[in-house]
Amino acid sequence: MKKRRNFSKKRKDSKYSKLNLFQKPDTKFFKPCPLSGKNAPIINYKNIKLLKKYISESGKILPSRITSVSLKKQKELSTSIKRARLLALL
Amino acid sequence: MNSYEHTFITKQDLQEDQAKTLVNKYKDIISKNSGKVIKTEEWGLRNLSHIIKNNKKGFYFHIKLEGVGKTVKELEKAEIIDEMLIRYLTVRVEKHDLDENFFEKRGF
Repeated sequence: MKKRRNFSKKRKDSKYSKLNLFQKPDTKFFKPCPLSGKNAPIINYKNIKLLKKYISESGKILPSRITSVSLKKQKELSTSIKRARLLALL
Repeated sequence: MNSYEHTFITKQDLQEDQAKTLVNKYKDIISKNSGKVIKTEEWGLRNLSHIIKNNKKGFYFHIKLEGVGKTVKELEKAEIIDEMLIRYLTVRVEKHDLDENFFEKRGF
């Protein structure tokens, strides 16, 4: 019994202790959307500095599961990237 | 009345006098067709990210306007047959933001 108790205590120490290659983590690694919120930057097809963060080296749009952008903002982002491409800005 | 943002790119070999007449020409078209020009911006000579119709560089002009559907239709009708233009884009916006300019004008 003592051994089991010790084991459970160790788990509670930090959320990363259980993280292993073959185990799923207990806690999800939630990252809030960087483009929604109070002081979030405005997505615009003229704002090239912002848009460049969300395209790959070869110029493709990065998926939202990598950048953790919300669905609504990802839609805005993709239209504005396509507009910037049309004007040869990106 | 809707508000629009209009951008067009001209060829690299454009003199300053030509640029003025070109912009004024399109301003006239807008005002003739029940539209109103609010602001014009010059973004200057920029490198194109990819080659368009054998051009590597181009002058960018940006017009913020108010008007109806016919205004944009007539404007694009005149631009599509213009040989000096490489490309144009019209975007409808809910509100103009006149403070922020992402492209400061560079010297010729």
